[in-house]
Amino acid sequence: VSDRLEAGPAASTGGGLTSIEDVDAALRSESYVPDRGLSTAIFLAVTLHRPLLLEGEVGVGKTEVAKTLARLRQAELVRLQCYEGIDVSQALYEWDYPRQLLESRAGTGDLYEERFLLERPLLRALRAGANAVLLIDELDRADDEFEAFLLELLSEFKVSIPELGTVAADSQPMVIITSNRTRELHDALKRRCFYHWIEYPSLEREVEIIRLRAPAVSERLARSVAAEVERLRSLDLVKPPGPAEAIDWAAALAAIGADSAEGEAARATIGAAIKNREDLGRTLA
Amino acid sequence: VTNQLVQFARALRTNGIPIGVGGVVDFVAGVDLAGDLYWSGRTTLLSAPDHIPVYDRVFAEWFGEIPVIESRRRGGIESEISLHRGPTSSPYEMFGRMPGAVPDDVLPFVLDLPLRRSRRRRRSRQRGDLDLRKTLQLAGRSDGEALRLARRTRRLAPRRVVLLLDISGSMSSYARRLVVAAHAAIQEHRRWEVFCFATRLTRLTHELSHRDPSTALSRAAKELADWEGGTRIGEALKQFMDDYGHAGMARGAVVVICSDGFDVGDSDVLGEQMARLSRLAHSVIWLNPLLELESYEPRSAAMRAALPHVDLFAPWR
Repeated sequence: VSDRLEAGPAASTGGGLTSIEDVDAALRSESYVPDRGLSTAIFLAVTLHRPLLLEGEVGVGKTEVAKTLARLRQAELVRLQCYEGIDVSQALYEWDYPRQLLESRAGTGDLYEERFLLERPLLRALRAGANAVLLIDELDRADDEFEAFLLELLSEFKVSIPELGTVAADSQPMVIITSNRTRELHDALKRRCFYHWIEYPSLEREVEIIRLRAPAVSERLARSVAAEVERLRSLDLVKPPGPAEAIDWAAALAAIGADSAEGEAARATIGAAIKNREDLGRTLA
Repeated sequence: VTNQLVQFARALRTNGIPIGVGGVVDFVAGVDLAGDLYWSGRTTLLSAPDHIPVYDRVFAEWFGEIPVIESRRRGGIESEISLHRGPTSSPYEMFGRMPGAVPDDVLPFVLDLPLRRSRRRRRSRQRGDLDLRKTLQLAGRSDGEALRLARRTRRLAPRRVVLLLDISGSMSSYARRLVVAAHAAIQEHRRWEVFCFATRLTRLTHELSHRDPSTALSRAAKELADWEGGTRIGEALKQFMDDYGHAGMARGAVVVICSDGFDVGDSDVLGEQMARLSRLAHSVIWLNPLLELESYEPRSAAMRAALPHVDLFAPWR
């Protein structure tokens, strides 16, 4: 096994997060406003080196958690977007066949060497170890076989490449998994992970989120948007607006110079928050 | 203290939350590290949103008040599908008392399934993209010269099937056979999903995936224990769409609804939800056992609201 297969120097593992309050403050400093439950889950996942499984309504910031953690730990964000039929060659590694073919015509050397290996997200995260935050996005879209493979990888943090040998992570990368529950994940995988269900934020927290994410929005406008979005969520819509939509809507209102989410300005910009025709009808009625 | 934590985890388990030994160990370690009893438990012991209300109830019984949670919830999953185990005085006790033998008059779900192109590939003689891996292998046999090009095309895979079974009073003579047939179907097709509904919806895929029919049925019966009479097809379908269908389960799938269409709910809701479903699904099949009767005509308000959005309307046979 070539030296380059080994991961780089191990980074600090905890990133200086020694309590729930630390996590809370650190996330806020990176413009993410967590609730106590999420801070607890992240703290425990980091401290006990466990993957964190995040579920929740659309637009509550599941993916954003991983991005924020990567910035916070000054680690590389390695994202694996799952889809149906995803397999090892797309997720872990692939051989560079065109170059191997050329090499084989030249008739020199070994075709299965490190220089012909194409790194895919999982291998990349393994090699980076604690220098990476691995985001496995929408795992419920992948099929059972892939999930079983992933479970093995997440318990050992090593894989074997038949032609080359075993690649093991020096230190574990932080792993965030998201799922939209279109398929029940395996019990074994769920047992491996810590779990957090992300709820819609409270009114106060949503105002804070909007102000942090869209600095051009005034306190008054943020409050008005948060209150209106809360009302929309109670309307039993097909796609209730999440915090992501609230931010977009507030930014849109600020851009046209409105100072509240009411009247003509609200009607003109509602498309930023409501993206379904039936919902639009129900909202405006 | 540790003992108390272990007992609490055990109480959660008897209330239907699946917790392994490892989970309890993590819980004890988590409370020690994080110092937050309530949230450490939620992180380490739960694995689905419908566990949360059960957790809150048991937590309150053990430790008094649960902390004020600042977040807001949408009424969907948590309140509707609870793990509440009420007295089993419903006619659906019969699932629980199922004898080991499977009734022999069960008709299997036999569907001629439409295929879709899968992302997975298979080898092909003439058509498709180059399969470089195979080509390289073949080249090795001819001194490194690629004389033959291997090709591969996308494999075809059957579509996901979602079964929505009406088990309300008017369907009682079919309900048991439907669930048995669904069990058999799940054993054979791993990607199928099963839901039962009367006035509300319950997902049974997990319960029915147990191989032994009588175990699977008694597990299913536990989930259906708080069953009440009457059918609200529209509301049940809405719940399916909100919690599962829209999130991706119904997309491109074949959705099979088995119901006689006797509905005490609002038929406008049903029509609206059927329209939503038919836009998302590959096809919608409505199996109505009453169609076997020659005199039957789909005149109920519910059937009239649903039929414009149904691709195939057929008896169960």
